[in-house]
Amino acid sequence: MNVAITPAMLGQVVVSGILAGALYAMVALGLALIFGVMRVINIAHGPLLMLGAYTTFFIYQALGLNPYLTVPITMLVLFILGALLQRTLVYRVVDAPELSSLLLTFGISIALVNLAQLAFTSNLRTVEYVTGSYTLGPLAFSKSRLIAFVVAAALAGLVFLFLQRTRLGKAIRATSQSREVAMVCGVDVQRIHRITFGIAAALAGAGGALVSVIVAIQPEMGQIWTFKSFLVIVLGGAGNYPGALLGGVLLGLVEQLASLFLTTQLSEAVAYILLVLILLVRPTGLLGGRQT
Amino acid sequence: MARPVLEVERLCKSFGGVAAVDRVSLALEPGRIYGLIGPNGSGKTTLFNCITGIERRDVGSTRFNGVRIDGLKPYEIARQGIGRTFQLIRVFPELTALENLLVVTRGSLAGAEARALELLRFVKLDGLKHEYAGNLSYGQQKLVEFVRVLMRDPSLILLDEPAAGVNRTLLNDLLEAVRRLRDDGKTVLLVEHDMKVVMGLCETVFVLDHGEKIAEGPPGVIQADERVIEAYFGR
Repeated sequence: MNVAITPAMLGQVVVSGILAGALYAMVALGLALIFGVMRVINIAHGPLLMLGAYTTFFIYQALGLNPYLTVPITMLVLFILGALLQRTLVYRVVDAPELSSLLLTFGISIALVNLAQLAFTSNLRTVEYVTGSYTLGPLAFSKSRLIAFVVAAALAGLVFLFLQRTRLGKAIRATSQSREVAMVCGVDVQRIHRITFGIAAALAGAGGALVSVIVAIQPEMGQIWTFKSFLVIVLGGAGNYPGALLGGVLLGLVEQLASLFLTTQLSEAVAYILLVLILLVRPTGLLGGRQT
Repeated sequence: MARPVLEVERLCKSFGGVAAVDRVSLALEPGRIYGLIGPNGSGKTTLFNCITGIERRDVGSTRFNGVRIDGLKPYEIARQGIGRTFQLIRVFPELTALENLLVVTRGSLAGAEARALELLRFVKLDGLKHEYAGNLSYGQQKLVEFVRVLMRDPSLILLDEPAAGVNRTLLNDLLEAVRRLRDDGKTVLLVEHDMKVVMGLCETVFVLDHGEKIAEGPPGVIQADERVIEAYFGR
């Protein structure tokens, strides 16, 4: 660790951090939506991302389709799966004490991982499509990460527009602010919950599709994403959607900076230390939690 | 007697063995204003919750225009044309005043927006339509909640303490609006603690005590009813 840190290295780290951050933010936005609307922390969020990665892999393998073109298909598949999970299982714990929903989604998470192992084996799979990087002066932009950044940022932006502008989006926001009043206004809250879970799963699926081009696919790749998404929404303030975006970018930056200044083993721990620190110092998140 | 808009028959709801609503029956005719009074904890809000489907009744039935609605989901009851406000104001604080109204979907989006703007103008809040409801004053939030109920043009309107925490001017506006709704043929049932409001506005008053209906009649008669006086002041 005697290498001098040059401005170029620092710039590179910032670039990499922001590129990774958008992906974190988009995936975490799904977790934030479910938490905001239903007060459920979905431990199975990461395994849904894993299923998204497999969906892309199999479509790519069978049809040779450009993996980025599979994103909409993967999102649709995961939307349906998410809505089904809500309809069959998760709706039972929406009003239950938090421990019930944690246990249920933890159970779903274990089931999904094991089913994936059974169905797909634990062999590592890869989608080798784009490799290499673009260079701009001293900075290098990994192609696959750059594309992931663009797609993730676009999808997160679309979800925001959807929430702000559309009727369904308003109904989702209304339901998250007061379920009882939404009902009295004629909103079918159960349906809104299914759609919310579907969108969240679709975002995780999109994350999986984008990640499949970057890292190897295996059944246990997802759990770390549950943790990272959780950290992102704690950073940004639980249920605060813009906060999730900020939290994602922040996590990307912190991870990259840590890898520059610390040993590999220590930098792996930085995210965890950050979580503990935030919970100690500012448990409502950097932007504060929801007002209601 | 015209066919009742709402018929509640022997409705019961208890929480952990305590009867919050106990065999309550009442019938509301169209185009009239009804009052629902009673001491704290007498079951007024629970009755509202049972009618709107937020609480599921234990026994008994509710008919809306002759059709059973007990057992329907709250959103289905709302879509049939029963609107309500809550005792403590319930706006969606992080939605704008306009968006608060647009949560109520009915017809096309353009139609809904036109109606929402018309209603906001009606209560002189059109200048604040893009303001978050959480930033509005108490009275303004109350008005937003009130006109949100009108979005669907309901034939039955349940108001939970419309006068609470409202200044004179606003109160008069609200009461005037309620009368106008009545003149349009709508039925209003309101829970209210302010006796002046109840006596001045309602044509028929129901009195609840410990979940039971103990009296029903015109305000003048109710005021003199011994059981009512006893329920409020004790023996």
